[in-house]
Amino acid sequence: MAALLRLRPATSPQALARRDALLGLLLIAPTVLILSAVIAYPLATTAYLSLHNVYTPTLATEWAGLSNYRAILSGGTFWHALATTLVWTIGTLALQLLFGVAMALLLNRNIRLRALARSLVLFPYFLATVVAVLVWRWLLNGLFGVVDHALIALGLIDTPVDWLGTMPNAMATTIVIGAWKFFPFVVIAVLARLQTVPAHLYEAARLDGAGSWARFTDITLPHLSGVLGLVALLRMIWDFREFDLIYLLTGGGPLDHTRTLPLVVYQQAFGLNQMGMAAAYAVLMMLLVLAMTIPYLARARGRR
Amino acid sequence: MPIARRQVLRGLGAGGLGVGMALLAGCGDRTGGPTILRWWSPQATPEQVASYREQIRAFESRNPNVRIVFEPTSDEGYPTQFAAAFAAGQMPDLVTHLPSFAAQNYYDRGLIEPMDDVVAAIGADSFFPGALAPFRAADGHYCAIGIGSTAVDMLWYRQDLLQLAGIGAAPRTWDELRAACAKVQRRGLYGTALPYGMNSMTSLIFISIIHQAGGQLFTPELDVAIDSPPTYAALDFYRSMREFCPPGATIFSWGECLTAFVSGASATGIYSGRVLANVAAQNPRIADVIGCVAYPTLSRAIPPWTFNDFPSLFIPKGARNPALAKAFAISLFSPDIYPTQLRATPGHILPTLKGIVDDPVYLADPLVAKYQREIAMMAKLAANGHNLGMESPAHLPNLRAGEIIASNCIAELVQRVVLEGENPRLAVGQAASRLERLMSA
Repeated sequence: MAALLRLRPATSPQALARRDALLGLLLIAPTVLILSAVIAYPLATTAYLSLHNVYTPTLATEWAGLSNYRAILSGGTFWHALATTLVWTIGTLALQLLFGVAMALLLNRNIRLRALARSLVLFPYFLATVVAVLVWRWLLNGLFGVVDHALIALGLIDTPVDWLGTMPNAMATTIVIGAWKFFPFVVIAVLARLQTVPAHLYEAARLDGAGSWARFTDITLPHLSGVLGLVALLRMIWDFREFDLIYLLTGGGPLDHTRTLPLVVYQQAFGLNQMGMAAAYAVLMMLLVLAMTIPYLARARGRR
Repeated sequence: MPIARRQVLRGLGAGGLGVGMALLAGCGDRTGGPTILRWWSPQATPEQVASYREQIRAFESRNPNVRIVFEPTSDEGYPTQFAAAFAAGQMPDLVTHLPSFAAQNYYDRGLIEPMDDVVAAIGADSFFPGALAPFRAADGHYCAIGIGSTAVDMLWYRQDLLQLAGIGAAPRTWDELRAACAKVQRRGLYGTALPYGMNSMTSLIFISIIHQAGGQLFTPELDVAIDSPPTYAALDFYRSMREFCPPGATIFSWGECLTAFVSGASATGIYSGRVLANVAAQNPRIADVIGCVAYPTLSRAIPPWTFNDFPSLFIPKGARNPALAKAFAISLFSPDIYPTQLRATPGHILPTLKGIVDDPVYLADPLVAKYQREIAMMAKLAANGHNLGMESPAHLPNLRAGEIIASNCIAELVQRVVLEGENPRLAVGQAASRLERLMSA
């Protein structure tokens, strides 16, 4: 031990610099290796697979060149799924922001049981998606679901509503359930920012005769714009890639009206056993997500 | 004495490496432990899992160094789960209850073991005639064994409700079924519960309906033959039945169709013999007033076509211990063990081994005794049943059947015509093109 801790004799500045450089490389190596293993390798493999015809169970490959991409871009499935993905993403994101900001404003006020409410509002976000979907499917079940029974009891409908099996109900229901599941993320971020808005600004505005709407638009919203922008970008990327909630709720139906791009990738890879085609879809999806990430990165760099 | 930062880091690195090596060495030390076999099946109700545990206990007591772990899969999810497991090299040691066409497909791709030695050990003569035919591969080997038999698309009906509506006999044709549904349907009671969802049940049931109109999806040589008058008649029938189904039937699959009939929400239903156990457990007040017949056909001139998925047993090529897995497979067919799984869901999984139907232990089961007539009928229909893997005895095995079902192209045809109101000719044309692409992929 003493030998291990003994200081080495002084060496020339060049040798010391070389040793420092080597140590630097040694220290950074684990990070590089881990990043390569978890990011670069999967990316390279996906790109490689996308250029081949691959039968999923055996992973037997056959060179396909760009034919997978040509087939995707010239066929209708990709464009339809992209349009569906955008409808889902924009719809659910808008509701998440609306509910999230409204709830954050409410929880920022001095209401009774505020601490409990702040905890409970996070519940949907922490609930496993499969559990949340099963609960919603039972709530909306046409034979035994409480939602239809309540609406019939209230005289609002005569027969159960087909919430998930026809359009536009299926997309609307999926969007609303998605918003319910993910809006707490917006609440957390916005509430944290709201607590940093100086109270004297509201007092001054009140003295100047500003109403609640004017205080919201002139004080609250400008303070929230930064965090809202980032939250919207992050949620947009996550919603664009959302798989489990939609798959479990509608399976992409009716027909292909809620079949978003991640569902197409899944069906290609494991339903039709065409891993190469699935990888090509995944690469195109990744490029689209990358395009969404650029404003986020630019914004983050601008704030630095 | 001061310590240089670099030396501390070097020391930490060396220490971390040592700890990591030690941990890895510890993980690798598995000598002396029991051999673990993994068993997958999509048939996993609590009663079935309890029966599997009984079967496992019996095998483990004779083989103390073996531990068998049962892991459930699902009817809807197995193609994806198996594709991922094969790709990852994480296959179980034994698989049961997948349809015969899945086994044929996997065998054709070299993913599962031939089972000739297992069949020989059990005795090919012990099986009902034809029970092993769906598992005979193109090379003459058995790709799997029939662990059971199921009449999947029986028409279940409530005798009390039909009698109340003045209907004396169970429907035998589509017209009679439609008329019966129209008579019994009232507020809170649906005529029937058919699947219209984008799932495997819709595809599989609609394939049966096409056959019940005298049609087929493929010729015996496996050329696409879906674009034919029986398919249009089937679509017409299926569309006309929509008004007798719950609004939510647009997402119905196996569970929902079963529940609709068992709960009493519909007067008729389509399902296998699992109805018997579920009625006994969940709604015993209707237990004395239910009956089943072969699903009606377009006309009396067309014989019934029963969908039997021919539940299989096979061993993947990646199994860690195929010899032990085969020994366990053989044990599942032993006379003292085999009836255990049949009694878990009486009438649902029907025997493929001779002698079981007369076995006093099997017959002593209260549900088997109570519904002896229905179970005998289902056994007879299932024995003459078919599935997309082999639409008739004249058909070649369709090795793409699993992918056709997983593609949902038949369910999509149903949804296009019934839910979207599309022109049947266009929809059938599209389905035919997709089938051709899937067959040539």
